[in-house]
Amino acid sequence: MTRYVRASELVKKPVVTFDGEDVAQVKDILFEAADGSVRGFTLAGRGLFSGPLKQTLAAGRVHGLGPDAVVIRDGTALSGDDQPAVGVPGGGDVMGATALTVKGTELGKVVDVIIEGSRQPVVAGYEVESSGPPRRRVLLPVLRPVGVSGDMVVVPDAVVDFAAGDLAGFAEAARGLRHRLEEE
Amino acid sequence: MEWWGWLIVAVVVLAVLIASALVTQARRRRGGVIAGGGQRPGEGERGGRR
Repeated sequence: MTRYVRASELVKKPVVTFDGEDVAQVKDILFEAADGSVRGFTLAGRGLFSGPLKQTLAAGRVHGLGPDAVVIRDGTALSGDDQPAVGVPGGGDVMGATALTVKGTELGKVVDVIIEGSRQPVVAGYEVESSGPPRRRVLLPVLRPVGVSGDMVVVPDAVVDFAAGDLAGFAEAARGLRHRLEEE
Repeated sequence: MEWWGWLIVAVVVLAVLIASALVTQARRRRGGVIAGGGQRPGEGERGGRR
């Protein structure tokens, strides 16, 4: 069964080793705009005054991505300072970006990102808050070409017909959209 | 100024410094969801997910 989680639920989650050592916490989630695959995480220290860490965690090194923690085998799963970071160049933070359809209809602001948890996690959709009153939050699945930058997320027009109100209905919405796109 | 006056000033300054440090750290630690690849709307054949 596919499990969907909000990106905001992963941010600040502790990164724990098999030995139970709490080595870091998740800061940013990095994903590849071209295919939606989650590449990894930037990290922050666990102490009250500790800031961002230079080490990063590649998605492939994650053993478990649970609701309460990100589990890794041991501290060597984190990239060292001498290794290339998992950061992907370009793009920007999609939180707060404007969601737009390809026909130019503004859907609202991206307030969260839906991640499909699997062996290779991927971005499966966006939670969007409409700007005009009444403010309403909907979850939009994305399966087809979508442009992503720090300012704008462009989605196909069809996703509007498959908006879900919550995560429970998101899987069904994603299935419906997939069906529609396959028929086109 | 009485000694307790200086004490109050010192405590207030210390509190402001600690609060400022905590706010700065919270901002530095605030997370996000970073899109990479620099793909712009209309580019590429796939997106969002595989």
